[in-house]
Amino acid sequence: MMRNSDALIAELVGSLEPVKPLRFAHGLGLALAAAAMSAVLVMSLFGMRPDFQAGQFNPVHLMATGLFLGLGVAASVTVIVMSRPCVGTDHSGWTWAAAMATLLPAAGLIVGLSADSDLLSRQSLYHGATCFVIGSAASSLVLAVLIGWLRHGAPTAPDRAGLLAGIAAGSFGIFAFSLHCPESDIVHIGIWHSAVVLLMAGVGRAIVPPLVRW
Amino acid sequence: MRADETSLARLMAMAQQGDRQAYATLLHECQRWLRGYFSRRIAPSQLDDLVQETLMALHNKLASWDASRPFLPWLAAIARYRWVDHLRRLYRADECSLDTDVAGHDDEPAIAARITLERLFGILPEPQARAIALVKIEGLSIAEASEATGQSESLVKVNIHRGLKRLAHMIEKA
Repeated sequence: MMRNSDALIAELVGSLEPVKPLRFAHGLGLALAAAAMSAVLVMSLFGMRPDFQAGQFNPVHLMATGLFLGLGVAASVTVIVMSRPCVGTDHSGWTWAAAMATLLPAAGLIVGLSADSDLLSRQSLYHGATCFVIGSAASSLVLAVLIGWLRHGAPTAPDRAGLLAGIAAGSFGIFAFSLHCPESDIVHIGIWHSAVVLLMAGVGRAIVPPLVRW
Repeated sequence: MRADETSLARLMAMAQQGDRQAYATLLHECQRWLRGYFSRRIAPSQLDDLVQETLMALHNKLASWDASRPFLPWLAAIARYRWVDHLRRLYRADECSLDTDVAGHDDEPAIAARITLERLFGILPEPQARAIALVKIEGLSIAEASEATGQSESLVKVNIHRGLKRLAHMIEKA
């Protein structure tokens, strides 16, 4: 036995300081602010898509970007909720957003594997790799904010929290870079933009749990 | 008399604002609740340690409770997390004890793990618990377990599968 429980309680009471409870709105606000900062940073470094500047919008690009934004918000909401333990809380809402976003790589692969696609052309690979690298880098701020929030909280499923923090970061990261990326091709978006989310999900799953265990 | 959800939530809200008297009362009530919660889940010899660990976790994570949410589900989630972590450490200690036993060290963790397992097995139907114990703990083959229990080989496999699934579900959702 470590020590007498009454002595422990007296010690804990003696060291009590007022604390500020973790508010859902505060956590979500921080995540969205980090996502917005990432988007502003990307646009200030690389500029906005030419058609956006001209006030024109491509429907495929718009829908895909909206799906990533939706997935980022859904995953962030779940991470914030998971930071406050509560038996009986449902953490599965994000799966619907993820299922919808899965349509993008599925459609990209179907079209990309068709006969007249230039999926493996040099130019296609170069554009794809650019989005992949910069989109992943643009995810880092949101990931750092979510890790910080989880460390303040008490996630009781660190592995899942890490996976979701990665998905949220990757979704916001590629959303930010989509505001610059001039490609509206479903093959490019479905494969390379989705790959950022997949990569960051793996990164989050691998690095976050040891950082947020308590 | 046991404090109810409303009283505990009010005490917790006061504790978050730095009220030490309310916090002392809250911790004593939580200690009592945790004893009841863990007493059905771990060996009696480990009860005090786990209760104290959980009280310290509660203290360190005070900010993770929001006054707009119920208190007891929050406490139960923290208790379950500490319990699962405690079981994980016990099983790790059990694995290490293969080496330490040779050196003549204390084998209390291994015994405690066994007691905990037996408590968990108490929740399962007897055929499932026996199949898991024979194959997964004592190391018998499916055929040997089938002969020992009188169950067919396929039934032994089904009982192991269902029993482990039920144990995992119980640990996750308890």
